[in-house]
Amino acid sequence: MIVERLLQRRLVILSGKGGVGKSTVGAALALIAAEQGRRTLLLEVDAPLEAARYLEAPPSGPEPVEVRPNLFTANLDPRGVMDEYVRHAVRIELLARRILESPIYDRFFSSAPGLKELMLLGKVMILEEEASGFARRPRWDLIVLDAPATGHGLSFLRVPLVASQAIPVGPVGTNARRILKLLRNPKKTALVLVAIPEEMAVVEARFFHTLAVDELGLDCAGVVLNAAYERRFSDAEEAQVLRLTRDGASGRLARDVELDSALLAARRHIRRRKLSRFYEGRLRRGLKEPLVTLPFLYAERFGLAEIRTLAERLAAA
Amino acid sequence: MAERRPSRPLEEALRQRRVLVVCGAGGVGKTTTAAAVALQAAFWGRRVLACTIDPSRRLATSLGLTQLSEKPRRLALERLGFEARGTLHAMTLDTKRTFDALVERFAPSEAARGRILDNRFYRQVSDALAGTHEYMAMEKLLELQDDERFDLVVLDTPPTRHALDFLEAPDRLLSFLDTGILRFFLKPYFVAGRLTLRIATRTGALAFSMVDKYLGLRFLQDLSEFFLAFEGLYAGFKERAAQVFELLRDPGSGFVLVASPARLSLDEALYFHRRLVEKKMPFVGLVVNRLHPDPAAGARRGGTPPRLEPAFAEKLVAVHRDLRTLARAERRGLARLEVDTGMAPLLVPELESDVHDLRGLAEVAAAIFGTAPVKLRRRVS
Repeated sequence: MIVERLLQRRLVILSGKGGVGKSTVGAALALIAAEQGRRTLLLEVDAPLEAARYLEAPPSGPEPVEVRPNLFTANLDPRGVMDEYVRHAVRIELLARRILESPIYDRFFSSAPGLKELMLLGKVMILEEEASGFARRPRWDLIVLDAPATGHGLSFLRVPLVASQAIPVGPVGTNARRILKLLRNPKKTALVLVAIPEEMAVVEARFFHTLAVDELGLDCAGVVLNAAYERRFSDAEEAQVLRLTRDGASGRLARDVELDSALLAARRHIRRRKLSRFYEGRLRRGLKEPLVTLPFLYAERFGLAEIRTLAERLAAA
Repeated sequence: MAERRPSRPLEEALRQRRVLVVCGAGGVGKTTTAAAVALQAAFWGRRVLACTIDPSRRLATSLGLTQLSEKPRRLALERLGFEARGTLHAMTLDTKRTFDALVERFAPSEAARGRILDNRFYRQVSDALAGTHEYMAMEKLLELQDDERFDLVVLDTPPTRHALDFLEAPDRLLSFLDTGILRFFLKPYFVAGRLTLRIATRTGALAFSMVDKYLGLRFLQDLSEFFLAFEGLYAGFKERAAQVFELLRDPGSGFVLVASPARLSLDEALYFHRRLVEKKMPFVGLVVNRLHPDPAAGARRGGTPPRLEPAFAEKLVAVHRDLRTLARAERRGLARLEVDTGMAPLLVPELESDVHDLRGLAEVAAAIFGTAPVKLRRRVS
């Protein structure tokens, strides 16, 4: 149900504390959309390692590359976006190059407050508005934006608001207001918060929700609790695990598997499952938004198979 | 073997140095680690201040507090049942207020100070300026260093995508505030009070006309007033920044790196370690958090197990296999790291429950330093 709602939008912004798996959730969502025939762009910002690798494709760089049928990925580089803007604004290549090579441009634009964020969000807006073909059909049916982690993500999304207040006139102010309008349009844009079953990730999701929804006016379409431990043992089996542990049971269970080791692993799993449920309850009560739980996957490395598993779970929720 | 313990440099830093900077990418348990080592130093008798810049109250959460403020708040360790010889205070940094304080200190005149603080641009961006958080963190560090209530400041750095940003952001901010550029850029237009196209080079004029066209004149006016007002401050700012770098490089300071055992995080830690060494920053340890336990370690071998339902036995085998796969992958990564850096990371195993109170922090500290957890006089609920 959440996915259905998300697929009706044009722009889905994923946010959450660092390390909660925003990019795997983003890849899963983009995969669902693409496989339903939507032209989908999975967009990252200055990601050191790209989500394309989860889809088992080579890094795509700043230009959208089709990594699976209908599924494109791009990793925007702030500087590249700014250079592109200069080229677009100046139009004459020779002059543009002189500006781009000037140390003034380099130092001013690389550290001017909020300019980077504004340019990046401006680029997202342009991508959203892009149309192609005779019918002027939107180039992208869905853009999934993997926003910087909440520590920075909030200032990232806040820039258009700050800029539209600080710069009342001129094209930048106008653009900031246009970006803000797109972000606040619940028909087009949705925010998805991602957390994992840990105190800080949950606290941060709630904190971010207050600011993004109440202060910035974004529409939160749902919360994803990622990497949750799910039930593997029935109640009776869980009790048996504890009983066997108490009795100090041992013996060889299978090749390379001792019973006491297996019981240790089982106890850990049970403990984590209970913690996951606890935090799920906290998120549900604290945020009052639709919630999807995705399983923790014991994988050394995430690949297409893992993303597909997450996508199936996401679609079924 | 006590001499060879990998936690020795960190322990020595906590016992003797004055500043400990905790860095790492987001999501690796940086704040928890900062709080845990700060607590340990208090157990060892230091008067510690744990300082965070985090807007999202992580430090408060991990200390089991609901709020932190700009004013250092003392944690009642004794009341919670901990025996500590030292003290632990915690605070969070209000970036805007630190910036204001800096302006007040360095403004050449009352009028200049008012002009800056009232400038609309300043009010909007003093908190959002790229690098401000990092710069202000360092600024605060200088100030706290002189505070007689504390003999150790543990600084939890802002969450960054790349751990390195922390060291480089202040440079970027300063180069933005650099007089040369901005004067060149803005002054000809606004000091004269009217728009003249008197500028040194064509490129500069072009860059300016672009800014004018796309940012708008009103904005430029605000911006130039802001920077002109700031003019008297640059020298002070630069001097402070130089002092901070000196402080960080001082043997009285130490850097702790924090990582998770995931391969990507370890790769990043390796890279950051190299950069710290290059910058001649005093590195004192790498903490790797939440290592998955290897279930097979220490298992009793052989024998016949009790009879189990086949389906149940199968589930046990599967859960064992899954955890072992993960644990072994992590250990391979750690072994590689140790070879590459020649240092042994300090390992914190995944704890039974999530760390978000002093008890949990004491457990983390015990894991880092390989000591028994600090004694609790009574249970804390």
